[in-house]
Amino acid sequence: MNESFKRGAREGVRLMLPMSVGLIPWAIVTGVAMRSTGLSVVESLGMNLIVYAGTAQLGTLPLIAAGAPLWLIFVTALVLNLRFVIFSAALAPAFHGASWSKRLLSGYLLVDGLFVLCADRLLRADDPHWRWGFYVAPALLCWSMWQLGGIAGILGAGVFPKDWSLEFMTTIALMVMLVPMVRQRAMLVATLVGGLGAVLLRGLPLRLGVIAGIALGIAAGFVAERWTEKRRQAW
Amino acid sequence: MVEGVWLWLTLLAIGSTTILTRGSFVLSGEGARLPPALQRALRYAPAAALSALITPDLLLDAGAFDPVNPKFAAGIVVALAAMRSRSPWLPFIAGMGVLLVLRKGLGW
Repeated sequence: MNESFKRGAREGVRLMLPMSVGLIPWAIVTGVAMRSTGLSVVESLGMNLIVYAGTAQLGTLPLIAAGAPLWLIFVTALVLNLRFVIFSAALAPAFHGASWSKRLLSGYLLVDGLFVLCADRLLRADDPHWRWGFYVAPALLCWSMWQLGGIAGILGAGVFPKDWSLEFMTTIALMVMLVPMVRQRAMLVATLVGGLGAVLLRGLPLRLGVIAGIALGIAAGFVAERWTEKRRQAW
Repeated sequence: MVEGVWLWLTLLAIGSTTILTRGSFVLSGEGARLPPALQRALRYAPAAALSALITPDLLLDAGAFDPVNPKFAAGIVVALAAMRSRSPWLPFIAGMGVLLVLRKGLGW
């Protein structure tokens, strides 16, 4: 193994360690949520491995529970993961010259915390060996923490009595993700319109109300942003 | 509930969105760029999507609109806990606590 790869890996792991430990509560909650939705132990472990994206996992559980059609679950997961397209576009130059298998692995492992902590230094580094170490080592650390926490939640979920409404943990987890996002007015508008839209349109067939609500929310946020900008310019 | 082989297909479909989004530009190379208008609109996608999934669970009781229900009360407590505290556990303990007290303790 290359010396600068090891150096990059060490620096990356040191940087990521605190945040990766912070993934454990999330992983446990997601594990419990999958089991209380009705997934078996094997199915839950499979979901954690195949999907490896907390928001998409938690967000699709209510749809799986409701027996929603496959394409609707797919589109919802896609929307929940859309932010990664932005991360992926920003990080792409750091994988210049990397093999296809490395790129595929990097894509699978690209979680929020990794982008937040590593993107800046990754894009400024010239040495491809250092870059690969600095990316893949903390990425695998996050992955391991997520899987370990998930296993704890999946196996531990049976400890709680069945009538404890544990499926509400999914809603709580999604709320904890949503609250810090709502910092500006346009984001608040997108949130309110998305939520109320989904409630008012719940009568649509195939649970289309969720997708319709999301589309309305995105449009409303975009319009609100334009509107606040115009008002600011008018002053 | 989606079950059996269909569930595994569903999990693969959900997993494919992980690769499609995270891998999009990393796989296609650094030449591609995202249009700025699309990039701005995408910023609202996560909040709108999360809200569209959460709000029906909080405002509907057995399918009917009813904001005065135990889950909505618990939801308010969760929002306050998430805004005020940095502890990752508090919103879960407070939210589940309120829901269990209201449902099991008071029989609501």
